[in-house]
Amino acid sequence: MSVIDEGATDALQAALAAEHAALWSYGLAVAFLDPAERAQARDDAEAHRTLRAAVETTLSQIGARAVSAQPSYATPQPVVDAASAAALAVVAETDALGAWRSVLERTTDRPLRQAALDALTEGTLRCARWRVVVGSPPAIPVFPGL
Amino acid sequence: MPRGLVPDVTGPDPAPGALSRRRVLTGLALAPVVLVALPGCSAMADDGPDPLVALADAARADAALAAAVVAAEPGLAERVDPLRDARTAHAAALDAEVARQAGDPAPASAPAPAPAGPPVPADAGLPALRSAVEASAAAAAGAALDLPVERAGLVASVSACCATYAAVLG
Repeated sequence: MSVIDEGATDALQAALAAEHAALWSYGLAVAFLDPAERAQARDDAEAHRTLRAAVETTLSQIGARAVSAQPSYATPQPVVDAASAAALAVVAETDALGAWRSVLERTTDRPLRQAALDALTEGTLRCARWRVVVGSPPAIPVFPGL
Repeated sequence: MPRGLVPDVTGPDPAPGALSRRRVLTGLALAPVVLVALPGCSAMADDGPDPLVALADAARADAALAAAVVAAEPGLAERVDPLRDARTAHAAALDAEVARQAGDPAPASAPAPAPAGPPVPADAGLPALRSAVEASAAAAAGAALDLPVERAGLVASVSACCATYAAVLG
């Protein structure tokens, strides 16, 4: 039985907020990306949709009210072309990595840590692919989530 | 409802009311046992090696292997040098955490020099490196599940980084 205390619940809400933001970001980015990258963005958005649903289910199971998505988000720079769209994907993935690492640091529950580690690991690969598109070496973050 | 993150879960306050009183009573009953057991526990904790030492050694070994792979086949430098840099940074961060836990004011003067890797056949280099970094990812992943919260994030990041290199080198 996983016991999710208040600290871990807060961290999960932050992870959910990051997943909401990532989905919104991919929705915007996909309109500007080149066709090959658009397919990548759709796959990545699907992964975030799955994660978001899993977090919402877990929060519901413990009787917590899941945070909602915001109607829109402020992007660090205007998204006007393929390059700025890919840069937004890097930001979204980087933010999500931070949120998932934080879940690991806010719980001692092994199954929850495993789930957060899986999210961190899969997100690192997504982040790396977009960093290749943007051309920001090293592609793979050295300390994902830091 | 979609599947959750964990199979069987309960929230912050699973057993309000009468149960909490029972838990208090249980706690009191167990208290003497815990007090007796404490010295033994702390002794065990002191005796065991810091699990991060092995992870730091693995990071140094991976960095040395990466360097050997590039030495044998310089054309791989662009793919492998970032991995060598990452594993060197992992070793430094893990050493620093080991030193912090041990109460050293600063990380041990100079980290042990990376062991000279075994000679790497030019054509076997990349698969060997991939296997090594995959094993490092698994070791760090296992440790990240049980470490104290202040160390879990660092070790999880090391695992995620290694797993991703294993994925792209494969």
